[in-house]
Amino acid sequence: MKFLRSAGEAVVGLFVGDWVQSAIVLVILGAGWLAVSRLGAAALVVLVLLLAGQLVWFARAEAQRSKR
Amino acid sequence: MYQTLLVFGAAFLGSAVESTEALTIVLAVGLTRGWRAPLLGTVAALVALAVLVIFFGQLIVTRIPDSALKLLVGTLLLLFGLRWLHKAVLRSAGVVEKHDEDMAYRNTVNQLQGPAPGRDWVGFVLALKGVFLEGLEVVFIVIAVGGTGRGLPAAVVGGLLAMVVVAVAGVVVRRPLARVPENTLKYAVGVILTSLGTFWAAEGMGASWPLDFVSILGLAVIYFAASRLAVVLIRRPALA
Repeated sequence: MKFLRSAGEAVVGLFVGDWVQSAIVLVILGAGWLAVSRLGAAALVVLVLLLAGQLVWFARAEAQRSKR
Repeated sequence: MYQTLLVFGAAFLGSAVESTEALTIVLAVGLTRGWRAPLLGTVAALVALAVLVIFFGQLIVTRIPDSALKLLVGTLLLLFGLRWLHKAVLRSAGVVEKHDEDMAYRNTVNQLQGPAPGRDWVGFVLALKGVFLEGLEVVFIVIAVGGTGRGLPAAVVGGLLAMVVVAVAGVVVRRPLARVPENTLKYAVGVILTSLGTFWAAEGMGASWPLDFVSILGLAVIYFAASRLAVVLIRRPALA
């Protein structure tokens, strides 16, 4: 049972470290899906910049938390 | 050709990192408690992983439409790659300690106390758990990287070759592969997986990338630049 639980946690842990960050990524993808169908390739640029931006934001936020 | 090489490279590098971590656990158990139990645990884990690959491989190929598959796998790959990249940024900035196979090896050895009499369930379960959990990441990388765009054979070859190379190196040196530049590899693979994930997720949404597969290079440049920017911002003295 313990083994199954740690296997389950490991599988979830592959994709989710910070639940808020994962939720933001999914929201960005959801918004991107809507935008791509209306704006086409131009929406891809915004999608990629938002995804790259959240990487910078959350890495910096975690660094600030760990330095406190 | 270019696509096949990229898929092979991503699967090989990602699998090599995870195989190195699994090898460290098996070596620690084998050299302190004897080889029979950890080798049996390793074989059991590999069989379980093979069953997972065959089951999910069939399910993916036969049941899921191409665009849904790209969106699903792309999203998972993006989340997975961002996790690696996030950790790589924090390690590069000195916020989190770099992964050290020698230390991981010593910690595992310290938890064990010499050879066990009779059947060694501790050694068996430790090796099974280590190989299975690290192997799950290998399986995901191989299926996700190769599961779309007809690159599965290249990804499987990359993943298997990485496991064989790491296993042979482990048998030869009989100690943790501390010289594998694991943190650098994870950084590079994190950038590649994040780029592939973005590419496939957007294709699953119905988007067409300019220059098709070549745009993955552009994505990699953007994510690498963003990660370096994050490292610079974290290291700035104003934060300290």
